[in-house]
Amino acid sequence: MKNIKLIALFAVVLGLMSFASLAESTKYKCMIQMTNYTGEGAYIVISLLNPEGEYVETLNVKGDDDEWYNTVESWWQFYGKKRSDIDAITGATISGGERSISVIEIDNDKIDKGYKLRFETAVEDQEYYESDVELELTAENVKSKVEGTGFIRYIRMMPQ
Amino acid sequence: MTISIWRFSHLMLALVSSLFIVLASITGTILAFEPISNQLQPYKINSNISLATTISSLSESYDEIITITTDENNFVVASVITKEGDSETFYVNPETGEKLGDLIEKAPLFKFTTNLHRSLFLKSTGRFIVGLVSFFLILMAITGIVLIAKRQGGIKRFFSKIINENFDQYYHVVLGRWFLIPVIIVAFTGVYLSLEKFSLLPETKITHTYPEVNSDEIIKTPFTDFEVFNNLKIADVKSIEFPFSDDVEDYYFIKLKDKELLINQYSGEIISEQNYPLVKLMSQWSLLLHTGQGTILWSVVLALVCIALLFFIYSGFAMTLKRQKATKKITNKFTKDEAEYIILVGSETGSTYQFATLFYKALIATGKTAYITTLNTYANYNKAKEVIVFTATYGEGEAPVNASKFKKLLEATTQNQSIEFSVVGFGSLLYPDYCKYAEEVHQLLNSHENFSQKLELFKINNQSFDAFRTWLSQWNIASNQNLKIQQPIEKRSSKNTRQFKVVQRMELNIDDTFLLQLRPTKKIKFQSGDLLAFRPNINEAARQYSIAKVNGDILLSIKKHDKGLCSSILSGLNPSDTIEAHIDYNSNFYLPKKAKNVVLIANGTGIAPFLGMIKDNHKQQHIHLFWGGRTHQSLELYADFLNEAKNENKLSQFHVAYSQEQEAKVYVQDLILQQSDFISKHLQEEGIIMICGSIAMQNSVLEVLNQITTKHLNEPLGTFENNKQIKKDCY
Repeated sequence: MKNIKLIALFAVVLGLMSFASLAESTKYKCMIQMTNYTGEGAYIVISLLNPEGEYVETLNVKGDDDEWYNTVESWWQFYGKKRSDIDAITGATISGGERSISVIEIDNDKIDKGYKLRFETAVEDQEYYESDVELELTAENVKSKVEGTGFIRYIRMMPQ
Repeated sequence: MTISIWRFSHLMLALVSSLFIVLASITGTILAFEPISNQLQPYKINSNISLATTISSLSESYDEIITITTDENNFVVASVITKEGDSETFYVNPETGEKLGDLIEKAPLFKFTTNLHRSLFLKSTGRFIVGLVSFFLILMAITGIVLIAKRQGGIKRFFSKIINENFDQYYHVVLGRWFLIPVIIVAFTGVYLSLEKFSLLPETKITHTYPEVNSDEIIKTPFTDFEVFNNLKIADVKSIEFPFSDDVEDYYFIKLKDKELLINQYSGEIISEQNYPLVKLMSQWSLLLHTGQGTILWSVVLALVCIALLFFIYSGFAMTLKRQKATKKITNKFTKDEAEYIILVGSETGSTYQFATLFYKALIATGKTAYITTLNTYANYNKAKEVIVFTATYGEGEAPVNASKFKKLLEATTQNQSIEFSVVGFGSLLYPDYCKYAEEVHQLLNSHENFSQKLELFKINNQSFDAFRTWLSQWNIASNQNLKIQQPIEKRSSKNTRQFKVVQRMELNIDDTFLLQLRPTKKIKFQSGDLLAFRPNINEAARQYSIAKVNGDILLSIKKHDKGLCSSILSGLNPSDTIEAHIDYNSNFYLPKKAKNVVLIANGTGIAPFLGMIKDNHKQQHIHLFWGGRTHQSLELYADFLNEAKNENKLSQFHVAYSQEQEAKVYVQDLILQQSDFISKHLQEEGIIMICGSIAMQNSVLEVLNQITTKHLNEPLGTFENNKQIKKDCY
């Protein structure tokens, strides 16, 4: 009897988990336009933060040489311990004046719930910006243009 | 040891940067294979496709295009959003839009090596070091140019023949000339890229101005009709970024090799066009030239440059060590004021030191008091009876480094007693200023009141030991001594060593000269002009004889010297005796097969190689032979041979001069002078002149030839020497 209960519990838990992961999500086109700074290409990490400001998920990484990942300091605190597989969402660094467009995927239930998108930037031998761009995930914001405070001039987002 | 500022800088720069250059060269060699392996990937495209074709075929296959780039390998890369909504980047066929393959991922080996190559894993510090070393490499190339120009005797002779003194030195110079330009390119681009990394180049970012747009007047033209898109070939487009949204203020952004364009996404109009500044273009070129991206040929050159650099480091240090060994201070047994014999040395590379040291040791061995030092430390010598100067010449007749102060010291110093002097000059006849500094020293001493000449100035070509021995016997006679010198034995490869059987030996003629015919017992390749090196016993150095190849045998013409060990042994040989000897190839002294007219000039036994060349003249080349001997009887040895050749039309003309037949001595150079018109015409028609025999004869002949060319052709003889029309083999 005990076993059956346990199995039932497992089934419920599994069901819930799969339901959670099957939650509706939307892809967004996201453009990052850099300022005309000189020097190496910038490492940029786009992360999802919960309302408490804690890292929840890494959405996109610009820069494929993990030697430099620790220069993106706050994110490194989150990512460095687990080192989850980010190959699929990793691209090349972006240099001054360039732009880059990537597709990021965000669960719909994170919208308008106080979650935030953070764009963290670091350039070899130059500054590090913990939140070069930070925006609250609202239905309005995901279609907008937001000015950057560091290496990023602005970002633009658009649902696909 | 003092060395010239150029050599010192060259060496110091090498010392400082050698470790990094070795590292950079090894990693560079590996990295050269990256562009090669990339080039071999099957993603090459038809470069005639227009941008419009590519865009339209891609937009059919994918939901949205973000960027299209043509990389340095000429592969087209598209970054798209697929119909499934995923963002992907891959190689495409620009004609059909079909995916060709995933991006080549930089192999971990190349990633690691690139990192090591440009920053030694030390990040910015490493980059700085590598950049600095690249700069040093440029300086080394420049000091190298100066050093080559100096050793060759002037910048104009930069590309003239190099004396092959030893392997390291010869190839250091030969490769130095071949790789000069590529090395400078690699070093310069390396520096340039470093400067760029450290943002030390002028600002290169260009900005576009975005006009105000009135969104009411939008006329939508299909992009397939855009003039720019149809005119541009995809291969010329470095990248094109597509508008982010439908907003008219989002543009197509195109980067070409030399400029950037902004294109209105509806009208196809060029909104802004900005050319790249020169600094930016140079950065692009630097990257291409430094990495070899996109061309296999240049990548191969780069790999060779890396290997050459490794060789330069090795051979450079090998030379330095050798030189240090050669000039290692001999510990003088006596002080300068105790010694009767003072040996003064002027040496650039250290080889002159070896001769001086041998002489010093010979003096000490016979119980003489001798003192050896460099010309630069010339001083007052209390007990000196005799000064012997051994000196080389540097560059265009300048003093070698350790003799640079001698002239001043000589003027400033007075000797208490009268001293005898002799000067021996070392040099190479290939240089125009042969032994010029020795001449100057001789002149200086001769006009100095404290000194009186003991022996004439003696010049030694290419460190000939035989010549050195000749000088020593002159010195022995003049000083009533019997110094003996052991020639250092060089190692020989046994590859060309053979047993030779004596076929025939002629009796000595009036000049103590005889012909010796030898047959190799085992097959060996040789031809007339090569040298047979014979070593009388294991402790002696080999003596070389010029070979005539006659019916597959070796024919030598040998003069027996009273005390000559070799010639005595050889003159005592009987048919079917065997000797062991070695063949030294001497390809500089072969009869050119293509020349129609050849003038051969010889004296005495120097005729030997020419006998073989004449005998082998089946092509009926016109051969004119000039020979100088002592008497009619001297010629008898060769007479049959020459008559036969004349009858067979193998010898066109034969001129002979006898020095002992008549009151007025006639030498071979006098014959040449008589034939001035013929000789000048011959040289003008690019005919070849070959000279074989004694150095004294050679010098006189060259002098006469120079007179002829200067007078009749308005050119110094050097012009024809550089043109390789003059071939010499003298001893």
